Amino acid sequence: MPAADNKHFHRVVDYLRARDTTDVTLTDVVALAEITAESFSAFFQSMDATIYKELREIANYITTMKSEIGALQANDLRSKRIPAAGRELDLIVQQTEDATNTIMGCAEAIMAADAKDLASYKAYVDDKAMLLFEACSFQDLTGQRVRKVVETLNQIEMRVARFAAAINAEDMKGFADEAERKRAERAEKLMLHGPQESSQAIKQTSVDAMFHPEGSQDAIDALFP
Amino acid sequence: MAVDLSMPILVVDDYQTMIRIIRNLLKQLGFDDVDDAADGSAALGKLKEKRYGLVISDWNMEPMTGYELLKEVRADDQLRTTPFIMVTAESKTENVIAAKKAGVNNYIVKPFNAQTLKSKIDAVFGA
Repeated sequence: MPAADNKHFHRVVDYLRARDTTDVTLTDVVALAEITAESFSAFFQSMDATIYKELREIANYITTMKSEIGALQANDLRSKRIPAAGRELDLIVQQTEDATNTIMGCAEAIMAADAKDLASYKAYVDDKAMLLFEACSFQDLTGQRVRKVVETLNQIEMRVARFAAAINAEDMKGFADEAERKRAERAEKLMLHGPQESSQAIKQTSVDAMFHPEGSQDAIDALFP
Repeated sequence: MAVDLSMPILVVDDYQTMIRIIRNLLKQLGFDDVDDAADGSAALGKLKEKRYGLVISDWNMEPMTGYELLKEVRADDQLRTTPFIMVTAESKTENVIAAKKAGVNNYIVKPFNAQTLKSKIDAVFGA
C-alpha cells in the first residue's frame, strides 16, 4: 500500500495558516473538508487499486487452494480408499492366520500319527500334504491384497505431496497428537524397533559372539580366513 | 550336564501362533511341561505361582514387554536365578546389549529354527 504523500497535507496546513484566527466558521470547516477531500483523492485512489490488487491475489490463492483441496480427494480417501485398504490388511492377517493354523495342524497331526501300518500312514500323510499345498495358496491371494494396499498408499502419497507443494507446506515439529507422542516415547524407552530390514538386522552368529566370544562360530571362522 | 527335560518352561508371547510353534519345537526336543503367557505381567503372575526352570520370552508385548519382564525377574529375590532366553524380532545391536546387561542368558533372533532353539537351551544349561 502506498504511503501518504506530504503534498496531501501541505494544502491543508497552508489553508489553516492563512486562516490565522481562533474563530472557526462553518464556511471554514466546509472549505477545509473540500481541500482535504481533494488533496487525499489521489491517495485514496492509489490505495484502492493496491487493496483491490491484493484482494484479487487472495481470491486467486483461495481459488487455487479450493482446486488443490479438490484434487486431494480427501473424502474419497477417508470414505473409500483408506477403509478398503484397512479391510484388505485385516483379510491378509486373517488369511495368513488361517493358513498358519492349517499348516501347523497338519504338521501336528502327522507328528502324532501312528506309523505302525505303513500303507495307511502313507495315505494319511499324503492327505495332510494335500492340505498343506492348499493352505499355501494363501500367498497368492495375500500378494494381490498387498498390491492393492500399496496402490492406495501410493495414491495418498502422490496427492498429499502435490497438496504440500501447492501450499508450500513445512513440516510441523514434534508429534501430531498426544497419543503419537506417548507411543514414540514408549518405543524409545523400551527399545521397540520391530523387525529390521535384513541389511540392518543383527545376525544370530553376531548375537552368539556377544554371549560366547571365545567359542562362537565367528571366532572359529576367523581362524580359517 | 544334561538338560532336565521334565522342567517346567514358560513361553511368553502375545502371538498365539508363535506360542504354538515354540510349544511344538519344545515338544520335539522332549519338553512336555510348557505353560504360556501373553505378556510380561501375565508371565510375572505365573512365575510367582509356579517355579519354572526356563523362561522363553518375546520382547515386544503390551502392556509389559519382555525386556521389562526380564528386569523384574532379575530384581526379584525368588526369581533372579531363573534362566531367561529372549526370542524376538528386535534385531538391533542395542537391544542385544541391553538384554545382556539386564541379565538375559541367551538371545535368539526371529525367524529361528529348532536347531537354534536347542543349541541356546543347551548353552544356557551348559549341556
